[in-house]
Amino acid sequence: MRVPLIPVILVLSLLGCSRPIDEPVSYFNVETPRPFGYVNGDEIPRRIIIETRSGISLQPGSVPVKGQINRWLNLNQVSVKQSGRRYQIDLRYQVFYAPLEVKALTLPGFTLQLSQGEKNISQSVPAWTFTLSPLRELVVRQSEQGEYLRPDSPPSLSLLVNSHAVYGLAASLTIAALTALYLGYLYGCFPGLSRRTVFKRVLRKLAGLSKADMEQALTLVHQALNNLNGQPLFSNRLSEFYRRNPPYRQINSQLTWFFNYSNRYFFSDGMIVVQQDLQQLKDLCEQCRKIERGSR
Amino acid sequence: MIRRFRHISLWSALALALAGALYSLGVWYGIHRDNHLILQLTSGKDVAVNKVISGEPELRLARAFYFKQKHRYDEALSTLSLVMDKGDQAFQAKVRYNLGNLYLEQALQQAKAMNINAATPLAGLAKQAYRQSLALDSGNWDAKYNLEVAMRLLPEMDRVDMPDDGPENRKSQLWTTVPGFPRGLP
Repeated sequence: MRVPLIPVILVLSLLGCSRPIDEPVSYFNVETPRPFGYVNGDEIPRRIIIETRSGISLQPGSVPVKGQINRWLNLNQVSVKQSGRRYQIDLRYQVFYAPLEVKALTLPGFTLQLSQGEKNISQSVPAWTFTLSPLRELVVRQSEQGEYLRPDSPPSLSLLVNSHAVYGLAASLTIAALTALYLGYLYGCFPGLSRRTVFKRVLRKLAGLSKADMEQALTLVHQALNNLNGQPLFSNRLSEFYRRNPPYRQINSQLTWFFNYSNRYFFSDGMIVVQQDLQQLKDLCEQCRKIERGSR
Repeated sequence: MIRRFRHISLWSALALALAGALYSLGVWYGIHRDNHLILQLTSGKDVAVNKVISGEPELRLARAFYFKQKHRYDEALSTLSLVMDKGDQAFQAKVRYNLGNLYLEQALQQAKAMNINAATPLAGLAKQAYRQSLALDSGNWDAKYNLEVAMRLLPEMDRVDMPDDGPENRKSQLWTTVPGFPRGLP
């Protein structure tokens, strides 16, 4: 039997390209920054991302430990983040090397251990080479004191300019001033301010009264007018009241009605209160409120 | 009842706010005084030691700065060692950098006077302080530069780099720690 050669070769080569389905690591990548331009004392981050098949976990003991790796290399920070089957290992190396010229150095590689049940699988992280540059020239310059050195770092004043104290001072003073103002208002230290809300309060109270509480309603309005006048106000002193509070002259008819009604209510017998009277009283207060608010 | 409660709470709020204002004022005044002392020390005038003891660690750093300016190295060292573990990370990095400078300056002086035995441990201590400072704050270029000065003064060699580290080579290995390597090169 003659086997067709070309299809067999094609199938075999395709099989060779595909990765075996049971490979323990599905994704592996090492991220490193630029491999040049580092100087003595620089930190170099390195990120390893590894994704495993299900049932395979990373052995945390195989991740390098913090500390000195060799004479010139320290590992300052190690963090392993796991989300599902994906591991992100962040390493932060620090180089302490004083080269005389640009020198290639190598971050050592290591092997990560993965375990699947009792089976161990290893994944090697390759070494990484970078170049380190000197900070000083070969023949050093001399200053007056001898070899050139960077000066001491002076104690900072800005560190002591504690903004918290200033903010605290401003905040507590503001709160104190606001509280003092409100207390002053409550104690009647601002008569001009309190007069402007006389009818506002009366209106609020009137809203809860019915025609059966006519006596209370009339008393409230009387008190408000007395308060505004600074002394008890009667119908024969209305003109004096208008002279002191000219805007109220425009509701003269309503005020006159109010004093007449009040007279009849308190001093004559058999007065029957109807809903309309209460409504008229409320209208009067509405007008007064508009005047005290300055919108009329 | 509610009005009474409102009044009491308003008065206590006022009292609390005033107390807070007084406290903040006190803190603010303290900061102002400390800043003044620091300015005095950095401009080269000494201040009484009891003022420094009660204040912030920055004050001790300023006092050490003053001692170093006056070349009173031992006093500067003892002052700095008191604040090694105080303050935040940036402050600790700064203390270690200044400590490194303190050692390195002495090491350079000893090396200039050809006291190699005295210069070697001082340069080693300087390197250690700079390394610690850079581990805390890797962005400090001054520390990087001065560490390089200290490392050139006292170069380090890997044992791995010298495979034939036999007894006959011991002497030559000693030579690697001779200070001032780059000086006088063509």
